[in-house]
Formats: sequence, C-alpha cells, structure tokens
Amino acid sequence: MGEDRGCGWIRGDETAKQMLSRVLRDRAFLLLPPLHRVPLRAGNVVEITGASPSAKTQILIQAAISCILPKTWNGIHYGGLGKLVLFVDLDCRFDVLRLSEMLKHRLLQANHKSKTLFDEDLYVSCMKRFLYLRCYDSLELLSSLKTLHYRIRQQEACGSQVGVLMIDSIGAFHWTDRLSSSLALETNNRKSLSLTNVVETIVQEMKKLLQVHSLVVIATKTTIYEEKYSTNENSRKFSSNDDLSGNSSSRAHQPPFREFMPSTWQAFVTHKIIIRKSGDHQSLQTGKQSLSAYSLEWLQPQLSSIDRFIVDDKYGKKWTEKVKPLKICLMVTFTADKKLTQAMSVCPIPSPLIH
Amino acid sequence: MAPLKHLERDNPIIDACFRDFCASHGILTVEDFLLHDLYELAAFAERQTNADRLKEGITHMLSLIEHQCRPWLNGMEILEDLHRNKHTLSTGDNGMDSLLQGGFREGQLTELVGPSSSGKTQICMQAAASVAEKQTGRVFYVDTGNSFSARRIAQFICATSDAALGKKVLSRISCHTVYDIFTMFDTLQGLEVTLRSQVQMNVNEYRLRLLVVDSISSLITPILGGSGSQDELVIWKKDSRVTNLVFAGRALMVAVGYMLKKLAHEHNIAILVTNHTVGAGEGGKTKPALGETWKSIPHPSGLTGRTLTRKDNQQC
Repeated sequence: MGEDRGCGWIRGDETAKQMLSRVLRDRAFLLLPPLHRVPLRAGNVVEITGASPSAKTQILIQAAISCILPKTWNGIHYGGLGKLVLFVDLDCRFDVLRLSEMLKHRLLQANHKSKTLFDEDLYVSCMKRFLYLRCYDSLELLSSLKTLHYRIRQQEACGSQVGVLMIDSIGAFHWTDRLSSSLALETNNRKSLSLTNVVETIVQEMKKLLQVHSLVVIATKTTIYEEKYSTNENSRKFSSNDDLSGNSSSRAHQPPFREFMPSTWQAFVTHKIIIRKSGDHQSLQTGKQSLSAYSLEWLQPQLSSIDRFIVDDKYGKKWTEKVKPLKICLMVTFTADKKLTQAMSVCPIPSPLIH
Repeated sequence: MAPLKHLERDNPIIDACFRDFCASHGILTVEDFLLHDLYELAAFAERQTNADRLKEGITHMLSLIEHQCRPWLNGMEILEDLHRNKHTLSTGDNGMDSLLQGGFREGQLTELVGPSSSGKTQICMQAAASVAEKQTGRVFYVDTGNSFSARRIAQFICATSDAALGKKVLSRISCHTVYDIFTMFDTLQGLEVTLRSQVQMNVNEYRLRLLVVDSISSLITPILGGSGSQDELVIWKKDSRVTNLVFAGRALMVAVGYMLKKLAHEHNIAILVTNHTVGAGEGGKTKPALGETWKSIPHPSGLTGRTLTRKDNQQC
C-alpha cells in the first residue's frame, strides 16, 4: 500500500490542489491535549524536558488518551483521534493503573454530558489501542526500533493506524552508554557502542520510520544534572513572571537546564516544551494533601503564554479505600494563572480537562 | 556480545562468505549489526556478485533480532498481568499501608528516604516479617550495614507464642550481607539465575515476594566519588581519568537500578530500598544521598516514602 502511494506521487501528474488535499489528508494537524497549544503534524518530534518528578509521564499519558479515544462512538463525542499509541518505556516504571483510571475518568466525563452509562466495550477497545514496550538498555531499544517498521505494517494490515510514538525518557541510558564510550576500543572501521553512535543510530532509525509512516514522536527528557542554583533560579523565575511582557525573549537565550543529549538528537527535535515545578499550590490545598503545581512552557516554537497545572493525586487514596474507584482519578487540571492572563490579555486557556 | 560466527550452527545462511562481507563493514557481532543502517548495508550488498544471498542474510539477521525483542503488549494485556501477577503486600503497619495505597506493589521499587535512626531499618524488618508471615512469601534481605536483627524480626511476628510456626516464618527470610557494589551485582545475578531455574523446574516452594536492600545508598555513595554531589564533576573535569571514574560510578548506579527493576517486573517481586539523607550545605537543608540520577529509578510511589519517614521521625 505504501509503495503504491509512493509511486503515485513520483509520477508528478498531481495538481497543486490535489497535492494540498492529499497532504491535508495524510499529514493532517493533530491536536493532542494537553499539548494542544501548538497543532502538531506527522513527522514532528516533541521533546518534553523537566526534572524528576515533574508530571512528564502524566502528560504523556494524557496525550496518549487523546490519541486512543475515538472521535465519536455511539453518537457521543469524545474528540480523540482513534489511532494507536506506541509507548516505549525506558524508565521502566510505567503504571498501567494510571492509564486505566485516567481513561475511565475521561470516558465518564464525556458520558456525563450525554447522560449515558460507562461503555465497557469502548474502554477495552481504547486500551487495546495502547501498545507498550519496556527496554532495559540501549541495545534493546535499538533492536525494537529496527523491527518497528514491520510491527506498524502488521497493525496497519489489521486496519488500525499508528498516531504517536512515545519515548519515556530518552536520556535514561545516558550514563551507561557514556561509560561504554569511555571503555570502547575503536579499531579500524568498527563502530563502537558509544553514546554518540547509539543516539545517532536511534535518530536514524526514527527518521526512517517517520519517512514511511505518518507519526508524531513525543519524548520526555529528565534533567539529569541538579540545578546548581535552584533557589536563586526560583526567585529569579518568579520575578521575571511579573514583568513577563518584556522579558520573555531574554530567557530564551539561556537554556534553563544543562543539555546533555548529543547534537544529533537536538537537531532531530522540532518542538520543545519545558516543565518546571512552581511550588506547592497553596490556594487549592484540600485537606491534608498538598497538590504540586507545575508550569508548562513552549520553548520551540516560543509561545508567550505559560500553562499552569496541578496534579491531583487523590486517585491513590480512593483506590485503596475501594470506594467508587472511578469517580476521582489522577488528573491534570489546567488553570489559567489570573495574574498572567490579565497582564498579557490572553483569553482564558481552554480547559478541556477541568473536572 | 555474540559474534556472528556463533550463529552459523543454527542459521546456515550466516556463512563465512556473509561474515566476510559484514566484517568488511566493521560488523563482527550482533551488536555491531544493530548500530548499522541496514538499508545502506543492503545497498552495498547489491554491488556484490552474490547479492541475493547476502541480502537474504541481512533479512535473516533482522528476523533473529525481531525474535529477541520483547513483545509489544496492549493496555488490556498489561492490566491482566497486573491483576494476575502483581499483588499488593502489606507493610505490617496500617498507617503506612494507607500511605502507600495498600502496601508495596509487586513489580515496583519503593524507596525509603530519611536521616539515620529515623526508623528505615525498622520498617524494612517489619515488612519482611509481615510478608513472610501473612503472605507466606519468601524474603531476600540484603544487609549492607550489619543492621539486620533476627530477634527484632521475631518480635514483629504475631505468632511468637507458637515457637514452631515462628521458626517456619523466620526460615522464609534469608539475609545476605553485602558490603560493596560488585558483590551486590554478584548477589543479584545469582538470585536471577536461581529464580529463572525455579520457573523452569516449576518449583512449588514458597515464592520470593519481597527483596529488601538496606541501604542501597551505602553501596553507591563510595563509587560516586566525593560526597556524591554532581557539582563534583566540574571540579574533576580537568583530569579525564577521574572524570571517567565518576561516569563509572553513575553508570554502575543506573545499572544496579535497572537490574532491580528488571528482577521486580519479571519475577513479580516487590523491592524496598533505603536511602539516607545528607546535609546539602545550603541553609542546613537535607537531601537524599543519591542525587538527581537516582530519582528516575524508584516508582513514583516511592516519593510517599520520603514524606513518610520524616513523619515517623517527628513522632519518635
């Protein structure tokens, strides 16, 4: 099927109009809440940077749910893409319960509006669109990427399309690969298993995948170096928030974290997001549990607005008490920062996830 | 690394001729193969006289690699594995169970962080007693600081009145003293081998359910060099040999973390590790001894462990 289409456009008998409609069909814009600020399209590579913990995996799961949900089902609008998600877990600590609870929550939310009951079939079909793989070292990742083309082919033969390839997180094997580069003996023309070679091959394999399949790649990256002046940095950050209007360009010049990925990866990334912890959310503290507040900022393309969100950890409690486990689940709630909104006169952030 | 030569016995296509072709491109092992662009390699093969056979060899290698890969699982399959194989183990303490959402989950690595004498070891021993008694599981206890006490564990066992039963419970806990990271690798590798052979032989003995490492930080801090602070890197950078040592320390730390996670996931074991805190200097704040790199090793629930030990400390 891929070859036919390939030959079709080499022939060059396509009008601009035909081409435009084909491009819009094959490489349509994708909106993946909570990353819907910038419309993504197939071939894009999004990198989400943040310290550990900063709800990076949480955001990946949210985006994954937006991808696996159908657009409509039995007349109810869910607003998803109805495509497969390939989740490569390099940190090896993905918790399927989180995905399951958040998906149930989203389904119930949509059903609540139309007053229908929870649809088990829909839940199962969504969960089956989430494909998961864990890798314990770079070689496992490489061999999976090398054979991924065939896996995607198999899935496409069954009639399902892959929407997003997720990697959590890309720098997981940084130290082990770096050690093997310092130990490696590069003899004649033999490539050593060094950090640069490994990352180069990973990027190469992903580029090849992106050429053949219409995918979006979303990768998280944990900052592995401690921010040296974290306390100073925070105060500076807060003061810069107040006069954000004039200051946003100066912040772009200095990367807020130490870049450690080789240049081949950096050149591969097309969109960059950074997540920072912005202290515990005081006003929304409920009971004993304090909620962690984070800010999400687009660095590339640079957006002037910053999304703020809190991660509500209540689901865990509910889950043990075995009382209505579906009602409240781990969720990301986006709230517009009032001060920020006023200062910049941006319209309130659309909040598709507010419960 | 598996040299291509070793593959010939089972896969006749990988003959001397194919290996010579690979060697001319610097491919001697399966790992080398992974680092190469196979399309490019196929294009090179095209120019050879025996192109078809070489290309067949490349395809065959790819299928071998595919065979080695772990399978992709869909959401329902992972959920099923979770419900069937990964249970929650009570820690033996109600307050702690509710904080950890029911206890330690099999397949996950939980980290306890706290200053010395904040009760980390007590929690470990209590958990070991609880798992051995109530869940009738075996416990593998790695002790790095001579803090393991069988008498203390016996006190945690509820059925102490019944001496025979208490003995039975205690016999399910095995303690291993480990003083350096290399012995740790050895011990874990040994454990993995026994577990794998038990699966093959279908041993009906009590299953290993909990692995305790008290404490992981005392094994890792010495190899990190200095105080284990990442700033150290900047100072040492001038001497490349020392920098390599620091990398080695980090790499060993990550490697032991992944080894534990792999054990936990594949053999459905709950893992509990302890990490002490050190003064960070600035403002007298304390921080976990293992820095930023270690943070991505424990499962998110481990963070509850951090607050928990602090709480315990206040109560004492």
